Amino acid sequence: MKKVNEIMNKVKIKTTINNRSYKLDVLPNQTLLNFLREELGLTGTKCGCEIGECGACTVLINGEAVNSCLVLVPQINGKEVLTVEGLSDGEQLHPLQKSFIEHGAVHCGFCTPGLLMTAKSLLDENPDPTEEEIRNAIAGNLCRCTGYIQVVEAVKNAAGEY
Amino acid sequence: MKPFEYKFSDKLDEILHILSQSGTDAKILAGGTDLLIELRRKPKVYPGVIVDISFVNELKGIFEDNNHITIKPLSTHTKIFKSDIIRKKAYLLSEATSQIGSLQIRNRGTVGGNIMNAAACADTVPPLIALNAEITLRSQNSVRSFKLNDFFIKPYKTKANPDEVLTEIKINCLPKDAKSTFIKLGRRNALSISRLSVAAVLQQDEDGKIIDARIVPGAAFPTWQRVVEAEQMLIGEKPGIELFRAAGAKVSEVMISYTGRRWSTEYKEPVIAALVRRALERCSI
Repeated sequence: MKKVNEIMNKVKIKTTINNRSYKLDVLPNQTLLNFLREELGLTGTKCGCEIGECGACTVLINGEAVNSCLVLVPQINGKEVLTVEGLSDGEQLHPLQKSFIEHGAVHCGFCTPGLLMTAKSLLDENPDPTEEEIRNAIAGNLCRCTGYIQVVEAVKNAAGEY
Repeated sequence: MKPFEYKFSDKLDEILHILSQSGTDAKILAGGTDLLIELRRKPKVYPGVIVDISFVNELKGIFEDNNHITIKPLSTHTKIFKSDIIRKKAYLLSEATSQIGSLQIRNRGTVGGNIMNAAACADTVPPLIALNAEITLRSQNSVRSFKLNDFFIKPYKTKANPDEVLTEIKINCLPKDAKSTFIKLGRRNALSISRLSVAAVLQQDEDGKIIDARIVPGAAFPTWQRVVEAEQMLIGEKPGIELFRAAGAKVSEVMISYTGRRWSTEYKEPVIAALVRRALERCSI
């Protein structure tokens, strides 16, 4: 049997993650999710279902919300990735983060990073969404604690400060 | 994920060359929303080479010319759903893409991937067939075109060769006075996978008589097709609840003639009839 290195070529990529530029040699058979968590130590992005159902691994690629479990790491070549770690401005929390805390939208917290990223992509595009638009946008982020009510209120409230 | 060789290029010619060298165990990666799930399931035939076409800009974009719309295969569901051209001239495709998966899936999944993966629940296919879609496949040494309704052999199986790339989807614009819709029924609202769906187009003349009718059910037949028997019942008639009910029953009957009676028929028989009736009602308001 061949060894991994004999079969697999590492791929050279340039990318920007949380506003920092990287030049990397990556193994192609890993997802962006695993790469962020295992190689870069960015464990804010959560690993849930790994089949694109739960949204816990949501990050932004060039501003669009995507499931990082369904992206191969070489696919971020030349792209800008934003994870929950890149959301705050230093110590200054993002309006969505503040609003989530104020509205009690964080219970166990596992879905929170994904929800924050999806909500950011929504508000960046539509700063004044209706409740239906919010619910539609977060349909791909499962939360088993809140029943979504506090989350929807938090997003609505953050929209006011956008 | 087990190891594989990863190849990519931002030029179509190079992609075609890579595929010509790669043999039958190569898999094309576009949006990845089906392929990555499949890789993690450890399929019996694991691809030796993944050919990433997601950087090829010439496979992106939506263009209109002379009553036709060309949709490049790497257009994501989000791009299609947000396209003004599609909303104005191929409304049912806009409606279908807006309901696929979640926001995250729509941002990644592509129409080309939806066609080539050929799952029975592929939501872009019934609207595209209703829009008389033609597709073009290219390999290093050949160019082939298919009518989309001629392209599928069975679920997950198409007439494409392993070294071919889908390069273009061409549809006819709907006439200005035609109305169209896509209705799907899933087991839940969010992230639902179609159990059954219907794409429909109706066009009426000045007197209100139906002059064009197209009905394409999804996830109902072994492969997708227009139900001509039901469409013919509508031509020359004026819209009405009894007429639409009869057309729905006809679609149901035709479906059973293909699939036979099986465990799910008791459910599907009345449901597909109701979906067809609803779709036609929406197109006649």
